Amino acid sequence: MPLDIEMLNFLDSPNFVSLAALEVGQHFYWHIGSLKVHGQVFLATWFVMSVLIIASLLATRNIQQIPKGMQNLMEYAMDFIRELTRNQIGEKEYRPWVPFIGTLFLFIFVCNWSGALIPWKLIHLPEGELAAPTNDINTTVALSLLVSIAYFYAGFKKKGLSYFAKYVQPTPILLPIAVLEDFTKPLSLSFRLFGNILADELVVGVLVLLVPLFVPLPVMLLGLFTSAIQALVFATLAGAYIHEALEGHGDEHEEEHA
Amino acid sequence: MFDFDATLPLMAVQFILLMVVLNAILFKPLTKVIEDRSTLISNSQTGAKEGLEQVNAITQQYEKALIDSRRQYQSIIAKAQAEAQKTASEQIAAAQAEAVAARETATRELAAQKVSAMAELEKQVDSLSQEIVNKLLVGV
Repeated sequence: MPLDIEMLNFLDSPNFVSLAALEVGQHFYWHIGSLKVHGQVFLATWFVMSVLIIASLLATRNIQQIPKGMQNLMEYAMDFIRELTRNQIGEKEYRPWVPFIGTLFLFIFVCNWSGALIPWKLIHLPEGELAAPTNDINTTVALSLLVSIAYFYAGFKKKGLSYFAKYVQPTPILLPIAVLEDFTKPLSLSFRLFGNILADELVVGVLVLLVPLFVPLPVMLLGLFTSAIQALVFATLAGAYIHEALEGHGDEHEEEHA
Repeated sequence: MFDFDATLPLMAVQFILLMVVLNAILFKPLTKVIEDRSTLISNSQTGAKEGLEQVNAITQQYEKALIDSRRQYQSIIAKAQAEAQKTASEQIAAAQAEAVAARETATRELAAQKVSAMAELEKQVDSLSQEIVNKLLVGV
């Protein structure tokens, strides 16, 4: 059974990770002064950003009352984003948050799909490999911290210091949980996105290694689906957190009845 | 896998930059065009509704005018008919009266002529009888 032995060898091998061509934890470091950054993340991010910017420029270059082509596509995305933001934040206050939520959604969506669709492997880096920027924990933590800052900003801007009242609003007993929530929110946001994308890429990588060609295809399709869902979930949760900060406990019931 | 470094703040800065850029080149113009379009649509809907109302009002007015004029012409016809009837009956009455008058005159004249004829005849009876008597007496 040469095949079995080979597989066993392969599993026993100490550098399984690099054999599997999944170089998790290896990075293409750039040094800026005394700082180290992950170059592969930046390269992929710049690619994603330029895709978004080029698509936007194409869509709004020759803007028309009756949309066509690229403008139509981006208006569809725009409608989707506006709807999402309105559903989460509410008719009254959603407008200023559309750019934030929309950029979150578009950026994460294009990041995830770029990781799933573009054969980054073909471009060789000295160290590490190109992949979706969202499979680096730095990216997801940065995004989720921005969400935290955004909802604190929303709360303070609307209510000033009385925003803190929501921590003790129903009962002060829940204060520790309310404080804990402010830590679990970014934590869960970042780890959900990071975990899903990284796991998806790992699963696809391992399957491609084990059974090449057609078997990994359904998993890849599932990966595309998960990627889209994760972008949607991230944007939706960001909207929900901002809405929560804007509303507080007192008004919620009024709104339900309204 | 969990090595945090300067990538994190730089990604945040990049994201904010991306948001500013996308806001300028994507969200603002598209929101503007979408809202302009919905304003345009609702405006033209209102305009169409107003036009429809106008058309309905004009149709009603026209129908009212139609009914009015129908009533008017019917009344005119009725009036004319009544007038004609009146004229006709007046003329008939006049003609009848005239006829009656003419008949009466004729009857009266006839009677007068009869009377005068009778008188003349009576006169002639006298002279005739005188003549008869003369003739007879001549023979005798």
